[in-house]
Amino acid sequence: MTANWAIRIADENDLDQIMRIENECFASDAWSIENMHDELVGAERFYVVAYSTIAEDPDQLIGYAGLAKSPLVAQGDVQTIAVTPSSRGIGLGRALMNALLAEAKRAKLKDVFLEVRADNPTAQNLYLALGFEQIDVRKRYYQPDDVDAIVMRLTMAGDAKHEPLVLGIESSCDETGIGIVRGNTLLANVISSSMEMHARFGGVVPEVAARAHLEALGPTLHEALATAKVSLEEIDAIAVTNGPGLAGALMVGVGAAKALAVSLGKPIYAVNHLVGHVGVDILERGELETPTVALLVSGGHTSLLLVRDLLNDVELLGETIDDAAGEAFDKVARVLGLRYPGGPEIDRAAEGGDPKAIRFPRGLTLPKDMDKHRYDFSFSGLKTAVARHVEIAQAKAAAGEAAEMNIADVAASFREAVADVLVTKAVNACLDHNVPRLLLGGGVIANRRLRELAKERCDANGIELRIPALSLCTDNGAMIAAIGSQLIMAGYEPSGLDFGADSTLPVTTVQTI
Amino acid sequence: MGALLAIDTSAGTSVALFRDGKLVAEKNITDNMKHAESIGSAIAAVLAEAKVTGQQVIEVVVGRGPAPFTGLRVGLAAATMFAEGTGAQLSGVVSLDAIALTALKTLKASPAKPLLVTTDARRSEVYWALYSGLTANGSPMRVEGPEVLKPAVLAEMLEARMLEPLTTDVQITGAAVGELAEALRADNLLERDVTAMYLRAPDAVEPKANGQFGKKVSS
Repeated sequence: MTANWAIRIADENDLDQIMRIENECFASDAWSIENMHDELVGAERFYVVAYSTIAEDPDQLIGYAGLAKSPLVAQGDVQTIAVTPSSRGIGLGRALMNALLAEAKRAKLKDVFLEVRADNPTAQNLYLALGFEQIDVRKRYYQPDDVDAIVMRLTMAGDAKHEPLVLGIESSCDETGIGIVRGNTLLANVISSSMEMHARFGGVVPEVAARAHLEALGPTLHEALATAKVSLEEIDAIAVTNGPGLAGALMVGVGAAKALAVSLGKPIYAVNHLVGHVGVDILERGELETPTVALLVSGGHTSLLLVRDLLNDVELLGETIDDAAGEAFDKVARVLGLRYPGGPEIDRAAEGGDPKAIRFPRGLTLPKDMDKHRYDFSFSGLKTAVARHVEIAQAKAAAGEAAEMNIADVAASFREAVADVLVTKAVNACLDHNVPRLLLGGGVIANRRLRELAKERCDANGIELRIPALSLCTDNGAMIAAIGSQLIMAGYEPSGLDFGADSTLPVTTVQTI
Repeated sequence: MGALLAIDTSAGTSVALFRDGKLVAEKNITDNMKHAESIGSAIAAVLAEAKVTGQQVIEVVVGRGPAPFTGLRVGLAAATMFAEGTGAQLSGVVSLDAIALTALKTLKASPAKPLLVTTDARRSEVYWALYSGLTANGSPMRVEGPEVLKPAVLAEMLEARMLEPLTTDVQITGAAVGELAEALRADNLLERDVTAMYLRAPDAVEPKANGQFGKKVSS
């Protein structure tokens, strides 16, 4: 239905018609013509009038409304609003209010106040629907009718964007992370890792990780609040990782986050872990430049993403079809008799080694694989190749047929194979999609050779490389809080309370409703 | 008035709200695979039904199991964080004790004829405990357990001791957990300990030496 009326800014010439409506609508307490004149021409006043577009007389006014602005305190007051009885019930009152609120927003007002008769529920409902809330009652304000005034206030979202204070909980693998952000600003990023407990098993044991999360929750929360210097009552919303990751580990965080949100009466946002790794860039640079390709490499993931919009357009280009890159480091470290976690150990062992000494296979890079798996990874064959190499070298050395195996060469060559395939595919993704940005994330990004090679190849191809600080690259709660904050500022509704942990949550689901 | 929130996820998801020692709202979801999904709305539902805000809850009591691990932790994590969010005092109870409390309202146990409470521990095992009766305040008197055993081994052990205990098929409820907390408090036995009762070590195999890739098993 198209409206049969229009709204324009009022001027002095409208005074007589406005007074006609004023007397019609406010029989007992109409303003005097002098008062109304002063309002119309007054400083920091904004008056609009509505006229019918189908009436015979196009100059016939059918309503008006006025706003008084106090820019110094960034406040506004709705002075009056009236619609002729014959034009009610067609949304004109709402349209007039919206005109005033648009002006309030333009003038960067933070709060708009109004008074409404207690015996006018229709008007009250309109103001509630527009976002006003009741803040006070003035007894017997309207005389001579002896009617109370209800005072209402609207806090404008406006240009002075409210920066939500969000607490993020991450528990998808072996790190219990609690982070706190305000808008785009990082306030706390506390991580409690159970890595040491997994060392004797040579890899993350899900049950051990989940047990550790439960015990780490309280202490991690306390430290995060202390670091951010905020109390739980100040938190505007809770964000939590609900996948992908280890199911049992995720469930601890989800249960904790829901109870915290309910206890505080605050909304909750269920956030995708992998998207969190991408969003972390916002905390360092204040924004995420898009489109960007993101390479996420950890003990649990090896994923290549194309991010056109952080909150609603994330595409999975490829991922590992077997082991994650971090797992390959751990397993090869074990083959070489090194400790867990394998990444830093192999970095150390590779010192002084020749990365070209042994040509280990680069998974899924042969032409036949590139058709189907252009952006996918495979590290299982590489791991087996290293194990075979070590077996043969040791046997030969034992038989006196060869010198002792050079561990530095093996470590450097293995590391080169991993870094090469990761960077080659990531750079290809940038070039293929004409995206001049690459963002790295995940714990394996700590690997020195991977960073070096990424820098080299990105520079050579005119691609801007972003590597967040390591504390933000590894799993953390701050990145989850950052996505929560972005969702809130972009006006997304919170998640309900019924979402579960989803160990295989697709990257296209940024927020689970 | 302050309220008490009881939570247990040793079986399904059980939540209850008490005011002045009286049950005012309860939510028991029997699905034992949906703890993470259910816990938030279950708590919100009992608060809403009792017309109580989170901040009016001054006490949280949670079942510590024993139970198969994954679901149990959801309740413990939720109780811990609810207490953090409200400043409520947090206590833990043995989930089997709550079942015993309900069962012993109608069964009469004694040291010679105790009540045997068992729950499914998965992997062909049961969690069990023996109770000789209730105290005057209504706290179950646990004389053995909780422990985990194969049912046949448990039966043999009882037979060897010539015990023919009473049994029950009572299921745990949020109400029973709250009631148990009130009884234990009256007996000065309510404890702050909220660590999970796993009764089993994590199922993980340490890798063999050089060249072998260890297996990881989750539970």
